[in-house]
Amino acid sequence: MATGTNGARRIASLLRPSRLDFGVCRSCQETVGRRNYATAATESTSASTSPSTSSVNPVYTINAGVVLSRPPQITRDLEPFEKAYYFYQKRLNERLALPFTKYFYFKRGTPLDEDWKRKVKERLTPARDIGKYNAYANDAWNDELLLGAQESEPEHLVEKLVQDAESTANATSQDTSKKEEIPRPHSRVTEADKKGDYKSLNRLLSRTLYLLVQSKEGYWKFPSSPVEAEETIRQAAERTLAQSAGVNMNTWMVGFHPAGHHVYNNRKPHIDEATGVANYGEKTFFLKSRIMAGQADLSNSLQKLQDFKWVSKDEISQFVTQKYYSSIKNMLADR
Amino acid sequence: MAAREPSRYLTRALPRAFAPSARSQAFLGRRNVSDEAPVRRLSDLETESSLMTAVSEDAAKSFDPIARSKSRKTQLPRSRLTNPKFQLPIPFPEVQSRSSSPSPTASPSDPSSRLFVPGPFALPRAEQTYNSTIASDILTLCYVHTPPGFTPPPKAPRLREWDDSSPYHKNRPLRGPRGGDVLRLIRKPIKFNNIPKIERITIHSYVKQAAQDNSAWLHVAGMAVQAISNVRVETYKSKASVATWSIAPGRDTVAVKAELQGETMYHFLGKLIDVVLPRIKDWPGVKGSSGDSSGNITFGLEPENVAMFPEIEINYDMYPPKMIPGCHITLHTTAKADKDARLLLSAMGVPFYGKIIH
Repeated sequence: MATGTNGARRIASLLRPSRLDFGVCRSCQETVGRRNYATAATESTSASTSPSTSSVNPVYTINAGVVLSRPPQITRDLEPFEKAYYFYQKRLNERLALPFTKYFYFKRGTPLDEDWKRKVKERLTPARDIGKYNAYANDAWNDELLLGAQESEPEHLVEKLVQDAESTANATSQDTSKKEEIPRPHSRVTEADKKGDYKSLNRLLSRTLYLLVQSKEGYWKFPSSPVEAEETIRQAAERTLAQSAGVNMNTWMVGFHPAGHHVYNNRKPHIDEATGVANYGEKTFFLKSRIMAGQADLSNSLQKLQDFKWVSKDEISQFVTQKYYSSIKNMLADR
Repeated sequence: MAAREPSRYLTRALPRAFAPSARSQAFLGRRNVSDEAPVRRLSDLETESSLMTAVSEDAAKSFDPIARSKSRKTQLPRSRLTNPKFQLPIPFPEVQSRSSSPSPTASPSDPSSRLFVPGPFALPRAEQTYNSTIASDILTLCYVHTPPGFTPPPKAPRLREWDDSSPYHKNRPLRGPRGGDVLRLIRKPIKFNNIPKIERITIHSYVKQAAQDNSAWLHVAGMAVQAISNVRVETYKSKASVATWSIAPGRDTVAVKAELQGETMYHFLGKLIDVVLPRIKDWPGVKGSSGDSSGNITFGLEPENVAMFPEIEINYDMYPPKMIPGCHITLHTTAKADKDARLLLSAMGVPFYGKIIH
């Protein structure tokens, strides 16, 4: 469908009288009436003699939007191929590298040394994360994992390292009655993930989360509001954030320039009765922002927002309209 | 239905083309990525993968490569490349001389080459943070808006011409810039394809006692730098003469250097930023005036700070305590100005203090 519409547009644009200026990009040509000094001068002289056909600039409401995001907190999950590749490289390294210089790390006759000897006897290699594998034996060629082997899984690796540290602590401690416990790293899947709690910032730790709010009409969008007079777009964005999602957030605005924009055209221009100005729709310019601490709070919202959600890029398309998504998707991070 | 769709849109689009428009219209020659149907792009990829092939449970369980090789009565034939019976039609001396021992002639990406270095072994966290968060933020921060049709004013040439006031000016090479003859790098506007990133890290340690006392100092320094960096160090002789330390140029080997790139570099950077630097007592940060004005930032670590690296901490007893060296760490970035390099490094987590000099 997209191909069809664009093809038709392209044919239609060929039929129009072209006023192409190669110095200016296409989108700028569409939005800005081209006025350089030479044409401005000729217009001003000719204006007194004959009324020129001046182009009407359509009036749009200018909005400032905020793309508030929480960056990824943990590394991403590896693809199966990446896991296999990294594991293969580790065993290859074991075969090619110089032997481990044991006596630089373990003094002869110490409990640590005894512990080390016991472990190497067990796993046949100094490396703790490549499973049971002897790189110097005659069957060292047999370095590929068999089907269903767990050695290349990151969870398995973490468990092995923790167990190794625990057994070292137990073997070398003076007090044999107490068993040492090394704390495991926290789970990569949180409570909020399991519950599907879209309001929590602890969901999807390896993805960027974006704040979506639901307007009083029921549409999901990034927080936005019209830019007021005598206000820069950055100030407007900061005000929008405070007015829509509350002040209980420690945020940082990324720069002073918008990272993307969205144009909404009214079906028919809205005519303002007092001034007679036709309003064609609204243009929203999005500024990037990062949340450091806190949480969104709609209780004091001036915009009468109904709800909010923290969602990743993949989930956004479920909530917003297709047109909106196509104009915002390129400014959102892949991960 | 699908074939009729374009004409349906054309009938709608044609009247619009002749309607009076408020905006000036130009030929729409742009093609979006979204125009292409995903089917067309994905059709190049293999749908089947050997990893996805279903293997029956008992076949997988009964497969034992070691037992298979032991049950074999005779050796398998040698590889075609190394077997003299199978000569290749065109003589490839490099390929044919390949044997099981490391070959000096094979390409460095071949595991049989002596130059082959295995890796990478992981996807470093610092690199992932850069790619997912920092790079796009730097792009937004460094955006400079120029109005449509704007052409920047022409700049004076970087090298000045002679004014031909003397006949001897003819064929002279051009003069350097005013106020010193160093040609600064050209800083181009930061776009999607030149976002600054960390290129390499150099750890350098100058051990003056190696010349005064004995070479043990240099050996320990080399071991320490090797331990924290995970790369082989190179040793260097002094270029300068320092009479008070009795160092003569070209005679005394006084320095070790390790150069880190790629995965090793990001692992080192992660350790430095998250483990070592936060534990240094009363450390104000990297001096704001540091940098060589072309995007490379250097700072120093005292010997007691070098001892805080986890690789040294784990067997601290094995190093002679007074011989652990201090070092200079240079973070080389692809930024063309120190300002951009500092922006990148402070986003990565390196603190700066004092007057920031751009």
